[in-house]
Amino acid sequence: MDIDLSPEDLAFREEVRTFLTENAHKPSEDYMKWRLNWFKLAREKGGWDVPKWPVEFGGPGWSPTQHYIWEQETAEHSIPWDLPFGLGMLAPVLMNYGSKEQQERFLPDIRDRKVNWCQGYSEPGAGSDLANLKTKAELSADGSHYVVNGTKIWTTLAHIADWIFCLTRTSDTGKKQEGITFLLFPMKQEGIEVKPIITLGGAHSVNMVHFTDVKVPVENRVGEEHQGWTYAKGLLQHERTGLAGISRSLVALETLKEQAATVKRGNGTLMDDPAFRAKVADLEVDLMAVEFTELRSLASASSGSDPGPESSILKLKGTEIQQRIQKLTVEAGGLYSAAWGAAQPGHRFARGGMSGYLSSRAYTIYGGASEVQKDVVAKNVLGIKKSSK
Amino acid sequence: MNFDLSEEQQLLQDSIQRFVQDNYDLEARQAVVASADDYNKDHWATMAELGWLGLTIPEADGGFGGNQVDTMVIMEQFGQGLVLEPYLASIVLGAKAVVAGGNESLRTELLPKVIDGSVQLALAYAEEQARFDLHDMVTRAQADGEEFVLNGHKSMVQHGGTADYLVVSARTSGGQTDTNGISLFLVDVTSEGVDVTSFPTVDGLAAAEIKLDNVRVPAAHMLGAQDTGYEILLAVAVDGILAVSAEAVGAMEMLYKDTVAYTQEREQFDHPLSDFQVLQHRMVDMFMEYEQAKSLLYRATLEVVQNGTGALRTVHALKHFIGKTGVTIGENAVQLHGGMGVTEELRIGHYFKRLLVIDAQFGNSDYHLQQFAA
Repeated sequence: MDIDLSPEDLAFREEVRTFLTENAHKPSEDYMKWRLNWFKLAREKGGWDVPKWPVEFGGPGWSPTQHYIWEQETAEHSIPWDLPFGLGMLAPVLMNYGSKEQQERFLPDIRDRKVNWCQGYSEPGAGSDLANLKTKAELSADGSHYVVNGTKIWTTLAHIADWIFCLTRTSDTGKKQEGITFLLFPMKQEGIEVKPIITLGGAHSVNMVHFTDVKVPVENRVGEEHQGWTYAKGLLQHERTGLAGISRSLVALETLKEQAATVKRGNGTLMDDPAFRAKVADLEVDLMAVEFTELRSLASASSGSDPGPESSILKLKGTEIQQRIQKLTVEAGGLYSAAWGAAQPGHRFARGGMSGYLSSRAYTIYGGASEVQKDVVAKNVLGIKKSSK
Repeated sequence: MNFDLSEEQQLLQDSIQRFVQDNYDLEARQAVVASADDYNKDHWATMAELGWLGLTIPEADGGFGGNQVDTMVIMEQFGQGLVLEPYLASIVLGAKAVVAGGNESLRTELLPKVIDGSVQLALAYAEEQARFDLHDMVTRAQADGEEFVLNGHKSMVQHGGTADYLVVSARTSGGQTDTNGISLFLVDVTSEGVDVTSFPTVDGLAAAEIKLDNVRVPAAHMLGAQDTGYEILLAVAVDGILAVSAEAVGAMEMLYKDTVAYTQEREQFDHPLSDFQVLQHRMVDMFMEYEQAKSLLYRATLEVVQNGTGALRTVHALKHFIGKTGVTIGENAVQLHGGMGVTEELRIGHYFKRLLVIDAQFGNSDYHLQQFAA
C-alpha cells in the first residue's frame, strides 16, 4: 500500500502543468479565438483535445491515474468550456456501436467543436423510468427512413444544438427495454419545435422538444433496430462517473472558505462563527473521504480489475457534496443572497451563490436520481434480489 | 499508488481471520467476558507464538519492523472478531511509548518480554478533568535525587488491571494545560503507592482507575527527555486512533453485512424485509458510510506512515468520521434487526457497544471536528 504517484505520473503532472500554464487565456486575447487555438495546440500535444478518447480514435489513451491528474490540474487552471453531449456521451456510443461510415461522418466534427449535440432521452412520462419512453419511430414502407413523433423533455441546450441523439420506440411488444432504437438527426428542420423551460436559478438551459413527422434516414440509426437501450445503458454509466465532480468540489470548497472569510461578523468573520465553521469542517471531512474513495476506485481500475463497490458511491456522495457547498455559499451570503436580477449589492459572490444553489438541486435528480442509484446499489452491490413474493 | 496488501500482509490477514473463525464465535467470546479473567491467556500466548505481538516493534528491539499499515490489518480483523486480548493497550500504545522514549537498557530488558507476551503494558494518560485534551494534566512528578515521585489519578486505563507496567504521563513543570512540561514514566504496578481498581466496560473489555500516591520511579524509567513527553504521547495517541479506527471499520463491515443477511431471511407481511425499499436505502447508506470510513482510514494511515504527526489533520478527520458513522451504522443495524436487535443474543449489539466506546476513546467525534477546524 502506498499513496505516492510513480515517477512517470509525476513527470506527466509536470507536463500537464506546463501546458496549462503556457496556454492559459490571457486577458488581452479574444476568447473564442483562444479557445479554438487551444484545442489545436492540445491536439498537436497528442490528443489532449479529447482526453477521454482511446488511441485508435486519436485520443491520448491515458491511464486512470493520468485522467485523475488531468481532472485535478484542470480544476485549478481553467481550460476552455466544452459541452459533454457530443464529446463525452455520443462519441463513445459511436466508437462502440456505430458503423465505420457513421464514425467518419460524425466524430471529426465533434472533435473540432463544430457541431453541437443534445441528448433526447427523458420524456414527460419517462424520467427515472427511462425505458417507459413513447416517442415513436415508424419505418417507412420502402424501408428508407423513420418517421418520428413524440415529445422529449429536459433536453439541455436543445435550443442551440445542431443535432440530437434520440431514443425512440420502434416496438411495443415484449419488455419495454427491447423496442428502443437509437437515432441521430438534425435539429434545424421542419417538424421540430423547441420550447424553453426556465429553471429555479432563472436560467434557460433545458427545453421541451416536440417532433411531428420528422423524417430520419435509416443510415442515421446507430446499431440494430430495437437494440438502442443496450447502447444507451453503457452511455448512462459513462455519464454517472463523470458527475461526481470531486476535483471541482475541492476547488469550490476553498473558494467558499475564502468568501466566508470576507463576511464580517462581530470583530471577526463568518469563518470565526463556531456553528458555520463546524458545518464547513464536516463537509470537508466528507469530501476528503469521497476523494480517497475515488482514488481507491481508480487504483483498482489501474490494476485492471473491475471498478470496486466503492465506485457506485461516487455519484451519490459527490453530487450531495456539491449541493452542500452551494448551500453554505447561500448561507454565507446572508441577507444579500436574496438579491436577484442584474444588481449585485453587498458580497460579490451572493448573487451567483443563490442561482448556483438553485441549479444544484438538479444534481441529485439528473443522470439517475439518488433514490434510483440507491436501488441500483442495493441490487448490484449489496446483492439484494427482489423476492418472488 | 496502490491500495493492495503486500503478500505478507495478505498472509497475516488470512491467519488472523482463521484465528477469529476458530476462537471467536459469540458464545466463546461471551464466556470469556463472563469469566473472572479480562481476556483469554491462551489466545494471548497464541498471538505471541504467531509473531503478531512483535510485528510492529523495530527489528533492533527484536520485532519485525512493521508499520501502521500492519497494525491496520491486525486491528481490522480484531474488530470483526470483537477480540478481547490487550493488543491495543500493550503493543500499539505501551510498546510504542517504550520504543519511542525508552533508553537502551530499558528496551533490551523489557521489549523481548512484551513480544513474547510475558509482560503486559498499558497507557495511563487520561484524567477526569481533561476530558479529551491530552495536554490537560494535573498528575505531578517531582524529581528527588535519582528518582521521581508521582502523585495523581489516571482515568479509564484500558486493560490497566492486568498490566505489569503502566506508561504514565505526568507534569514535571508548567501549568495544567501546557504542552511543555509533560514527561512520561514507566511505572511498575507493584511499586508502593500504586492503587489499581479494575472494572468491566460496556463493550466486554476492561479498564482501570489508577491512583498514584507518592510512587517512586527511577529516573532511568523516564521515556524521552524531561518536559518533552507530549511529543511521544501525541504520536502514541495518533497510532491509537488509527488502530481503534481500523477496529471500528472491521466492526462496521460486519454490521452492514449481518443486516443485509438478516433482512433477506426475516419475513413480515409475507415478504422478506429486504423487499422493502425504505430498508434497502438504509442499508445502502450503511454500506456507503462504511466505504467512506475505510477510505479515510487508508488515507490517514498512509499519510501517517509518510509524515508521522504531520498528518494530524487527516487523523482528526478520521476520528470525527469514525465516531459519527460508527454509532449511526450501529443504531441502524439494531433498528433493522427489530426486537432481536436489542437482545444480547446477536453479535450486532456487541459490535454496536464496541463502536460506542471507540467514539469516546482518544476524543469523540465532536472533539476531533473542532480540532480539525481549528
